[in-house]
Amino acid sequence: MIGLFWICTVVLIVTAIGVIGSKHPVHSVVALIVNFAALAVLFLTLNAEFLAMIQIIIYAGAILVLFLFVITLLTIGTQPIEVGPSRLSFQAVPSIVAGIAALALLAAGVRGARTAAPAAPPDFGFVGTFGLQLLTTHLFAFEVTGFVLLIAVLGVILMAARKEVRF
Amino acid sequence: MDKFLSTVPFTILFLPLFGAIVIAIVGPRVHRAGAAIIGNLSIFGSFVLTAMLAHTVWQMPVDQQAFTVKYPPAWAAHPAFWAHIPPLTISFELRIDPLALVWMLIVTGVGFLIHLYSVGYMAQSRWYRTFFAYMNIFVFTMLMLVMAGNFLWLLVGWGGVGLASYLLIGFDSNRIAAVTAARKALIMNVIGDVGIMLAIFIMYAHFGSLSYKVVFANITSASTNTLDWIGIWLLLGAVAKSAQLPLHTWLPDAMEGPTPVSALIHAATMVTAGVYLVVRAHPIYDHAPAAAMAVAVVGCASAVFAATVGMAQYDIKRVLAYSTMSQIGYMVLAVGVGAYAAGTFHFVTHAFFKALLFMAAGIIIHDLGGEQDIRKMGGLVRRMPLAFWTFLVGTLAIVGIFPFAGFFSKDAILDQLLALHHPILWAFATATALITAYYMFRLLFMTFFTGEYRGDHEPHTGTARTMVVPTVILAGLATVGGWLVLPGRDEISRALQGAFTDRGPLPAIGEINWFVSGVTTLAALAGIAGAYWLYQRAPDLRARLGSAFAPVHRLLANAYYVDTIYHWIVEVPVLTFASDVAKYIDPEGVGGFTAGIAHATSGIGEAMRGWETGYLRRYGLTMVIGMVLVLAYYIFVVHGGTSIGVR
Amino acid sequence: MMIPTNDYLAAASALFVIGIIGFLMRRNPITMLMAIELMWNAGNLVFAAFARNFVDMSGQIFVFIVITVAAAEAAIALAIVVMVFRRRREVDVDDVSVLRG
Repeated sequence: MIGLFWICTVVLIVTAIGVIGSKHPVHSVVALIVNFAALAVLFLTLNAEFLAMIQIIIYAGAILVLFLFVITLLTIGTQPIEVGPSRLSFQAVPSIVAGIAALALLAAGVRGARTAAPAAPPDFGFVGTFGLQLLTTHLFAFEVTGFVLLIAVLGVILMAARKEVRF
Repeated sequence: MDKFLSTVPFTILFLPLFGAIVIAIVGPRVHRAGAAIIGNLSIFGSFVLTAMLAHTVWQMPVDQQAFTVKYPPAWAAHPAFWAHIPPLTISFELRIDPLALVWMLIVTGVGFLIHLYSVGYMAQSRWYRTFFAYMNIFVFTMLMLVMAGNFLWLLVGWGGVGLASYLLIGFDSNRIAAVTAARKALIMNVIGDVGIMLAIFIMYAHFGSLSYKVVFANITSASTNTLDWIGIWLLLGAVAKSAQLPLHTWLPDAMEGPTPVSALIHAATMVTAGVYLVVRAHPIYDHAPAAAMAVAVVGCASAVFAATVGMAQYDIKRVLAYSTMSQIGYMVLAVGVGAYAAGTFHFVTHAFFKALLFMAAGIIIHDLGGEQDIRKMGGLVRRMPLAFWTFLVGTLAIVGIFPFAGFFSKDAILDQLLALHHPILWAFATATALITAYYMFRLLFMTFFTGEYRGDHEPHTGTARTMVVPTVILAGLATVGGWLVLPGRDEISRALQGAFTDRGPLPAIGEINWFVSGVTTLAALAGIAGAYWLYQRAPDLRARLGSAFAPVHRLLANAYYVDTIYHWIVEVPVLTFASDVAKYIDPEGVGGFTAGIAHATSGIGEAMRGWETGYLRRYGLTMVIGMVLVLAYYIFVVHGGTSIGVR
Repeated sequence: MMIPTNDYLAAASALFVIGIIGFLMRRNPITMLMAIELMWNAGNLVFAAFARNFVDMSGQIFVFIVITVAAAEAAIALAIVVMVFRRRREVDVDDVSVLRG
């Protein structure tokens, strides 16, 4: 199990770097898919089977497909790759410094005794348990989530119906 | 204390104020005579009540003749103070004793006569009603001054008469000369107010109270040095209010006011407030010989100064103004050496004859259509007999010729000067008597004699009865007023004794000192003879002397250039400073400061615009940096660097 | 033997920081959005780890909701990106600075 964890973590990091480092957006998407897969395995190690499935199906299966569609639609006739130097001065170095600082702080924050989690009941993370919790204890959040999706749909439709906007 | 004695003082005090308020509210709606009636009735009422009160008080045994009344008994449920700022308590209290009663009688009595006179004199004024309201306010504040039972209410009255003086001098507010004179009077009076305030501060520091009773009872508890300082500061107030050297320049200018104002305020009552102050504070001066000597010296110097200036003035009212300053100098000199009864006696007689002189002068001015320059008069003895005879009475009184009033009072002062061992001051005072006789008769001759009438206007006859009657009454008082003090019958000292219970019997001023009276009468006659010779007999001699001594004459005519000196030392720097402040400091300093705030605010806004670049990534970077800072704060400051991870 | 929870948190931190750096350094808007997705997933990992740690299903429920909201947001963001960059030659987020103050 530990080995699995570490393999997945390595894959996670490497593909993440691949996502942000690739020149072509499609390469980024592919890296992201592998990233999600590794993450799903990590969910499985955490007794979150339902979440792992949802991650694959929705994130990798729907959202990234959406990304691919947009890349395709958008980059017909345009340069997908960033050309020329960045117009913003003092952006690159401070970003990296801030990132490293954040990492250091987070590391400082999470250091401590590495104790394992207590034992969990056998049906922890099962679909049935999950569904029961979702529809009883967290019913309100579930309903509101529905509204959020509704609003997203409405927003996208309105934007799609708009005439060309010139910037 | 019986009801009469404890309520009448308040009625006397507030009746004039009540009259002023009624005139202000009702006056404009009724015929202007209503204002005159209300004004005169209120003052007359105060006078009658004062006379009754005086009669009652002087029947009482001497040691009970001085008492204090606080708040009317009807308010007995209220606490006995007007202000209580721990540890200082100030009550609204009035002190009634013979000293106050003498002043009250003069203020209300002569005040009433002048009110009556004003009915005729001010008849052409558009602001007739306002005049009577202002005069009532003056009488109220003057009564407040003399009736006050502690130094604070004295100061209130003091400032009040200054205000009334300002309002009345500048009564004809269309004339710039009048308004300027009013302002000058007020400013100089305020300098005196500061003096009294400083004295009050020292008094409070040493005695803890401002009430006469407390201060005078504990007078010996303060060192002579302290009392000297109190006396000096009070002297500053007296000098300003009584137009003594060096704060005298406002008095001649104050003649810009109407003649009744000059008569009442700047002759008979307000300018004597300084004398009253010194007499009232006599325990202080009795124990502070240096301050008392300063008072005497100031009085003597003023008397001599004013007399010499009076010799070279050509405006009838200005001569009278300087003569007032000189006579007040006599009073100040008297109270400075401790001759309180003599000084008070001279105040009483001076009120009579000075008011008389101003009224007579007013009749002349009124009938000549406003002419005040004596070079444009002359030969009026036949055309205006009433004015002549009354003016003559007043002149004889002021010069001190037996048996008129001034003889007794002036000789009383001179006699006391010698008796109290001040020969030098006596010499100066006697010399002043000579000069006084000279310039007063010079005035008389130039106005009524010296040949034919030199003026432009035909004097019109038929003076109003309301002007004539008070004048004649005062002429009578100026004649017989001196007879209050005759050999063997010193009414003044007997009357005032009740206010001086701490000193023992006052020196009797009734005995005639033949030496003093003789010398004084000789001096007066010499002065009269000199004026007669130069003005009636030998005008060419006068012309020759005038050209020979022309610089001296100029010096005197310009009152030793004191006004010019003050102009360059005080007026010019202050006005220059004020205009500089207005031209430079105000727009750039104050304006710059407020504009600077606006600039700073908009500058900050401009600076903060730099943050809104419009670049999404830049905003993101800012957010991340902020996140890092918050995280650092959270980990290191809130949790002290320990880990917050799972343990 | 189970994996200590802190290890999951460390992995999530690394993922999060990589997402930050990617968002700030790249100019292609779609790549930036993918970096945002990384950040979300880091958060999801933390929630799931703690759900397991405290044996509370609420963490997993929250992950579910985050995934939903992320989906909605991605949809809208991509729609905006399409609208803004439809007619452009280059796809550079720095071109869109009209709200400069």
